[in-house]
Amino acid sequence: MLDTLSLMGAGFLNALTPINLLMMAGGVAMGIIIGCMPGLSAAMGVALMLPMTFTMKPETGLIVLGAIYCGAIFGGSISAILIHTPGTPASAATAIEGYQMTLRGQAGKALFTACYSSFWGGLLSCISLYFFSPLLAKLTLKFMSAEYFWLSIFGLTIIAGVSSKSVIKGLMSGALGLLISTIGLDPISGVKRFMPSSYFAEGINTTCALIGLFSMSQVFILAEKKIKARAQATKFTDKMSLSREERRIIRPTIFRSWIIGNLIGILPGAGASIACFLGYNTSRQFSKHKEQFGKGSIEGVAGSEAANNAVTGGSLIPTLTLGIPGESVTAVLMGGLVIQGLTPGPELFGKYAPMTYTFFAGFVLVQFFMLGIGLLGCRGFAQISRLSDAILIPCVTVLCFVGSYAIHKNIMDIVVMLTFGVLGYLMRKFDLNTAAVVLALILGPIGEKGLRNALRTSRGDVKVLFSSVVCWVLIALCVVGILSPIFMNRLEKKAAQEAAETTGEDLEKLTEEDSV
Amino acid sequence: MKKVLALALALCLVFALAAVASADWAPNGPVSVIVSYKAGSGTDNTARILAKYAEKYVGQTLVIENVEGGSGSIGWSQLASADPDGQTIGFINLPNFSSSIVNEMGTYTIDDFAAICNHVTETSIVIVRADDDRFPDLQALVDAAKKEEWSIKASTNGPQASNHIGAQAFANSAEFTYIDIPQGGTADQLLSLRGAEADFAVVKLADIAGQEAEYRILAVFNDERLPELPDVPTLKELGYYDGWLGSSRCIAAPAGVSEDVIAFYEAAFKAAMEDPEYIAAAEQAGMATDFKDAAATAELIAQQQTFAESLAEGFWYEEY
Repeated sequence: MLDTLSLMGAGFLNALTPINLLMMAGGVAMGIIIGCMPGLSAAMGVALMLPMTFTMKPETGLIVLGAIYCGAIFGGSISAILIHTPGTPASAATAIEGYQMTLRGQAGKALFTACYSSFWGGLLSCISLYFFSPLLAKLTLKFMSAEYFWLSIFGLTIIAGVSSKSVIKGLMSGALGLLISTIGLDPISGVKRFMPSSYFAEGINTTCALIGLFSMSQVFILAEKKIKARAQATKFTDKMSLSREERRIIRPTIFRSWIIGNLIGILPGAGASIACFLGYNTSRQFSKHKEQFGKGSIEGVAGSEAANNAVTGGSLIPTLTLGIPGESVTAVLMGGLVIQGLTPGPELFGKYAPMTYTFFAGFVLVQFFMLGIGLLGCRGFAQISRLSDAILIPCVTVLCFVGSYAIHKNIMDIVVMLTFGVLGYLMRKFDLNTAAVVLALILGPIGEKGLRNALRTSRGDVKVLFSSVVCWVLIALCVVGILSPIFMNRLEKKAAQEAAETTGEDLEKLTEEDSV
Repeated sequence: MKKVLALALALCLVFALAAVASADWAPNGPVSVIVSYKAGSGTDNTARILAKYAEKYVGQTLVIENVEGGSGSIGWSQLASADPDGQTIGFINLPNFSSSIVNEMGTYTIDDFAAICNHVTETSIVIVRADDDRFPDLQALVDAAKKEEWSIKASTNGPQASNHIGAQAFANSAEFTYIDIPQGGTADQLLSLRGAEADFAVVKLADIAGQEAEYRILAVFNDERLPELPDVPTLKELGYYDGWLGSSRCIAAPAGVSEDVIAFYEAAFKAAMEDPEYIAAAEQAGMATDFKDAAATAELIAQQQTFAESLAEGFWYEEY
């Protein structure tokens, strides 16, 4: 216990270096900009910035990525409130009450509520990060080949359903990812598989693949649409603050949304877009001022924004401990981890504990930067959210090329990135799930190695796959995983529907814009 | 007349310059040092420490270039095809380099490289779990493995990676069979052993630094006992694999460089590795510095190549 405390303390000291603080501020600002631009999602932003972190120290790199993540999730609320277009799907529920407040001339108050709730949601979610991750990581020490096989299957069943409209299409996307993950040297016997040259020996570079799938494909999608000016952001004059009384009112809401968002985050597979609706609905159910809902309720804004930022800390837990990123943003973050030569699991809390706790401390500090930068910069960010696609498209394209080339300084990486960009574009045209491909790329080799090694140790006896309690627990989770999309879809639809009933708005339309 | 004089003068100058160059070659600009693994990897760390202290003796900046991918083969291909003008040198990692040639990962062979010197050497050891009472010593392990075919399992750090080669060399020399369980790296390899999935493992001594209490070291792959492990027998004294095995980081230039280039770098790196400041830095980083001259390094590369090729024809565990 004392060890952990001293590690936590040392983590804060390490995180407080000027360079780390600078990176936090920069990351948060970058994240907010990406988040508040409709069309750029959090995953895409983190993917674009990923190559820039390669040369940094692991903890600094991770802090930057974490800062972009938190900033982007909050940033989505700015455009949701001011121009009624959620910058990321995670802020869809914020648009309901937030825009109503803007219409009533309370935009400043709405933005303050969003920022204040995001801060508390994110900060509170760090508690679970600190306490659950080491415990879960310790558990993985018991994981042997068979358990890793089931773990990867669990991850695959969950991702298959997530954020795709049909389970079948999700599974198809996952299978495609698995197929691509077999490229390269076979992990057991070293046989060359589907390798035109030794460039592919270590498989498809996950970072290039995800820059292509998330960022480049978005460029194609944006380029295809007719470029039109976005709605003018409302200029607002009211003060950005809340009275003491108002803060007291939203306090229980923030607390409830924290619990909801955090749990949703820990569950691999459910992301911030579900959490915001659940947080919003719960805030309405418990509210003493139900009559304000639909007309611009600060509780509604707080409920949605605290929940989606509470997801951030929670979703890092399965990523860092089990190596199962629950959603696309953490999948990208895990790419950053792997590139730094770090493997999720017990090592992060043993050999690399100082690095991990520095990252945690940085993640806590990032919340404060988010509060400060969010409050000070809102007016400026509001203008950025209207940036024309004519400027956005070339900027993102350049970043995609530079980013993928910077990894190894190999021109082949750009070819791979572009290939996946086209693939991602086509997949999204067919409603397939690009996040599932990335996750399958990561989980495929773990599963293959687990299965084949388990069968080697038992000399071909399949019983080894069912030989331990952990195996059975994971198998049970797989079943839950397959069924969860059906449940989650219903939950999200119901929550969205309930929210819509209060306002009479078509939320499908709101979330349609950006489906990454 | 003037023209003839000028020509004669120019000729003299050319000869003089040529004479200077051959007597005392030195790089005429920053030297590229190709490391075939990513920045921050083990080889990269040790290479950067050496480069820092060698600049004084080389007289030029040493620029580390990380050319990663293809299990190292992309960097080695680049080194093999670089201009042999002495401006590009690089690190070769044994035995991964040897395996990459056996598996035809690139188009190069050992003849495409000219050895300069050896930098770091780590020796392999055979370990079991400290609480595993079945194997108090190496003989007990060998006996158990011989009693029943394919009954003993060893975790490795990847197919035909250094620790797999070590386990295979041990098994070949003791004439027993075992099942190898390839993991992604040494950390996972050790986890697999600790979780009792594997019975033994071959690792490098430095891999278990800080967790020595978890394992029992049964033998070392060396000609004589290691000074830091005086109680641990060598495989040679027990009658098995007779020689050194482990991993080596050698420095080489593309084949075709002149003898002077080799001699220059050999002397420069030797001086750097004897520099007290370097020695202090190396000690702090836990690097096992082991200078070998060009001839000895070339011999080591050739010997490891022959060995890797002999293993490739040996037996690997066939999958069910």
